[in-house]
Amino acid sequence: MTYGHSQSRLGCFAHAPSLPATAHPLPELTFDYDATLAACARGERQALQHLYEQEGARLLGVARQLVRDTALAEDIVHDAFIKIWTGAGSFDPQRGSARGWIFSVTRHLALNYLRSQGREVQVQDTALDALAIATERLDWSGVMQAERIHLCLDQLEPQRRSCVIHAYVDGYSHAEISQKLATPLGTVKAWIKRSLAALRGCMG
Amino acid sequence: MTDARDAELEELAGEYVLGTLAAEARAQLQQRLPSEPALRAAVDRWEQRLHPLTELAPAQTPSRLLWTRIERSLAFARPAQPVATGWWNLLALWRGLSLLGLTASLVLAGWLVIRTVPVGSPTYLVVLVAPQSNAPGWVVQANDPREIQLIPLGRAEVPADKALEFWTKADGWQGPVSLGLVKPGETLHVPLDKLPPLQDNQLFELTLEQKTGSPIGKPTGPVQFIGRAVKVI
Repeated sequence: MTYGHSQSRLGCFAHAPSLPATAHPLPELTFDYDATLAACARGERQALQHLYEQEGARLLGVARQLVRDTALAEDIVHDAFIKIWTGAGSFDPQRGSARGWIFSVTRHLALNYLRSQGREVQVQDTALDALAIATERLDWSGVMQAERIHLCLDQLEPQRRSCVIHAYVDGYSHAEISQKLATPLGTVKAWIKRSLAALRGCMG
Repeated sequence: MTDARDAELEELAGEYVLGTLAAEARAQLQQRLPSEPALRAAVDRWEQRLHPLTELAPAQTPSRLLWTRIERSLAFARPAQPVATGWWNLLALWRGLSLLGLTASLVLAGWLVIRTVPVGSPTYLVVLVAPQSNAPGWVVQANDPREIQLIPLGRAEVPADKALEFWTKADGWQGPVSLGLVKPGETLHVPLDKLPPLQDNQLFELTLEQKTGSPIGKPTGPVQFIGRAVKVI
């Protein structure tokens, strides 16, 4: 799909059956993601709908944070669910968690879009906010110490940690991070390389 | 593999998952993934390491139309599994069809076959079911690959200001094609002379549209009944 062209969207009728997208998702441990993907692979549409109710809002949040545009993020989540539906049969639980896979599918669709389109204007627009937001988030990560990634991120210097968060969560390119942190491009690239190596060492 | 090459692979995989690879490098890596298990494994490890960071993006409730759009597109998405293993496997979406409904529709279809075809038999049969309940609502019968009949199994309820529109799409077609408006409870005869011959697995559906049919020549309303063509021996 070409994103951002409303004429490519079907199903735009007013009396759509409403679907409470993830108003009250089940705890992740209760929802059987593997069984749900297996059911999708068998062609059970209800299973995909359950997955949408369970994760639609969180996937949209991830896509929205990356592309910074709600309509575009909905296009991406739309495409992600079609990809999940057609790819469910080839999902291999040996390669990672089913929940991780649906997030990866969504992120990479958003990243493919971002990297192929570029996003110069918005970076300038959000330069100050995003740093404040990221700082806030890093404080917030204190509540999730159980996650190993946060313990390991805490061991990085704050600016390098910001690089990782800006890239992974906000979808910023090397150049965008360089602009935002007012740091030379080469330095940002080196920080990211070293941060990845440090995270790999820390997390195994 | 040497440690240096190993580190290089990990670094590349890490930048890919992080999202910092440029468009061209991303595309190259994605092309390599199917044929390079070591690279794939490195990417998988990075996906697992970094996945908890997705929690940092605040959830956002989708608009009410998003699921409807997804559901509409599913009708035209290729099935997840290879379909060469026989027609029972094609029909996963019929799993919920009740034994009674299945029996009734096949008996009726069988009766129609016997009644209307002096020589040979219909080549294709489609049972159109409601997507939610899987209740059978219509049978499509083809005596001749150039004409089909849409036969009601009951009387579908249609709001006064709406109409049912009949669509079909075979694998490889650009999009669905309208076969006209349907009157609830009445058999519709559709000549297919402007379309290619019927194919196995061809999709048929009835959508709810405005009284005069879809204004854009593509289905816009919710799917009321849906099914795929199966070859009858």
